[in-house]
Amino acid sequence: MNPFEHLRIAFDALLANKIRAFLTMLGVIIGVASVIMLVAIGEGAQTYIRKELMGIGTNLLIIVPGKTETTGMGRMPSGIQKITIADLRALEKRATLLNGLSAVVVSNAPVKYQNRLRNVEIIGTDQNFEQVRNLHAEIGSFISKTDVDAQRRVAVIGRTVRKELFGEANPLGRTVKIGETKFRVIGIMESKGVTLGMDIDDHVFIPVETAQAIFDQDGLTNILTQAINENTIERAKEQIKAIMMQRHAGEEDFTIISQQAMLSTMQTILATFTYVLGGIASISLLVGGIGIMNIMLVSVRERTREIGLRKAIGASQRDILLQFVIESVTLSVIGGIIGILFGAGVAYGAKAAFPVLPVDVSAWSVALAFTFAFFVGAFFGIYPAMKAARLNPIDALRYE
Amino acid sequence: MSGAPLIQLNDVTKVYVTGAIRYEVLKGISIEVRRGEYIALIGASGSGKSTLLNILGCLDVPTSGHYHLEGEEISAKSDTELAHIRNRFFGFVFQSFNLLGRYTVAENVALPMVYHGLGRRERLDKAKALLARVGLGEFTGHYPSELSGGMQQRVAIARALANNPAVLFADEPTGNLDSKTGMEIISLFEQLNAEGTTLVVVTHDARVAQHARRVLTLADGRMLTDKQNSIAELTGA
Repeated sequence: MNPFEHLRIAFDALLANKIRAFLTMLGVIIGVASVIMLVAIGEGAQTYIRKELMGIGTNLLIIVPGKTETTGMGRMPSGIQKITIADLRALEKRATLLNGLSAVVVSNAPVKYQNRLRNVEIIGTDQNFEQVRNLHAEIGSFISKTDVDAQRRVAVIGRTVRKELFGEANPLGRTVKIGETKFRVIGIMESKGVTLGMDIDDHVFIPVETAQAIFDQDGLTNILTQAINENTIERAKEQIKAIMMQRHAGEEDFTIISQQAMLSTMQTILATFTYVLGGIASISLLVGGIGIMNIMLVSVRERTREIGLRKAIGASQRDILLQFVIESVTLSVIGGIIGILFGAGVAYGAKAAFPVLPVDVSAWSVALAFTFAFFVGAFFGIYPAMKAARLNPIDALRYE
Repeated sequence: MSGAPLIQLNDVTKVYVTGAIRYEVLKGISIEVRRGEYIALIGASGSGKSTLLNILGCLDVPTSGHYHLEGEEISAKSDTELAHIRNRFFGFVFQSFNLLGRYTVAENVALPMVYHGLGRRERLDKAKALLARVGLGEFTGHYPSELSGGMQQRVAIARALANNPAVLFADEPTGNLDSKTGMEIISLFEQLNAEGTTLVVVTHDARVAQHARRVLTLADGRMLTDKQNSIAELTGA
């Protein structure tokens, strides 16, 4: 028999009971839509993080105090030494695979201009920061070597800080108070917005030694540097490690973070997150499949006489089996298509409404959800269909 | 009657086993059905006449014995082969019409042709012609529920004729009808037999038995009598 005839029979049967067909599909619709939506969110988050991390520069290396990553047993350091400007000077002098080094001290402090006050993260750094981090002063100038060496009280402010404290007024040459100390504004940073959850625009930059003095710190929060190119990242890390360990009495009491390492860690976490979300959504698809099986069992019982008649007029067991399997697959596939459209619609709708929401409907999730819906229909349809196919035509015709 | 038998049963038995109990429904039946015959199967309830009809119509298989259809043994055929035989060789009419409510009258009549592999257009054209033949040419687009019982049974007869069957089997075709509409069905059977259709009818209805050319009486799973109605009896009825 022509498979299109089976399809027609399936459609006729479903159209004869539209509300029931729709309610049965609803389980699959919800399951598929949630797979699509949750995977879209997971994938979107991955894309977002990847883009953010790419933005900080491929060759960037960050040296932070303390051993945060351990491999194997990881011996305990006998004491964590601070990372200091002396370390930076040593690296500057001896490391050959690095392109620029910048010291960073981070602290929070209230910044005041006239009667306006804002709590801001203060970054104490040096003249190399612009190059290493690829962030530049747009108006005025950034901190210079002289500013650092002379411990000048000068500040470069971010866009948000400027807007909040100065409004439309020109801040260049004005004096702001950071904590209790007065600073002269010498520059305004270019606008970079939020990267890695950090609002670059909401910062104030001051010379590193000035920062150490006013915040009473002798160590550094971190040292930023760059490998000279992508191929030397690993060798550059080795070089830093050797120099630093020599200076820290043979202890590896620091960690070198590379963008690649961050990227791969984040990718692993987010991929797992995506699979978990997809897996949870798949369970609801499975529940939808059980709903289909339930309704198909009812349907077989209701149509016992029809099955008997079809057998009497020439339907084989195979014909009846196919009729009911195709009916349940039709249910799940139509449910799957509606679910995909609905899920993608909600995902893109959310993206349109909230552009920052990272959402990305991927082809593989659509293909997976559709295939899964198809097999759910086939799998959960086969048992009721076999029951139908095995009915004895004589008993079936007499069924009341 | 002359010519080779269309159907030949040799010593056919049918035993149903329910738990520990054995029901011997048919205890060795041997009959021949020839082309163009009009046979009535009569007997008390439980005599085995419906079971015999089901075996003749390949809806059921004998426990033992031989069944030859046009000389070919079919006892060992598979389900698919039997479905094929039912589709091509036989038509069935039931006491309770068994029309599908979601299809129109014409679509119901066309149903056996679906399993014969005919295209939709061809099926519906043939269905309309068959409905005209049973006097329902104007009702092709109606749904079964819109028709009277007698009309529904005529639709069922048209459906049974869909694939030009060699034999039309009917199980109590007048059982659910009043005597007037029952008579219409009997006349229709007469007409179909006159046009060459072979009929085997299980019935309690004495009028059907009177109109048949040959009457087989079953009792307790055995053939009691097998007699030809004389022309005189027929005209006298």
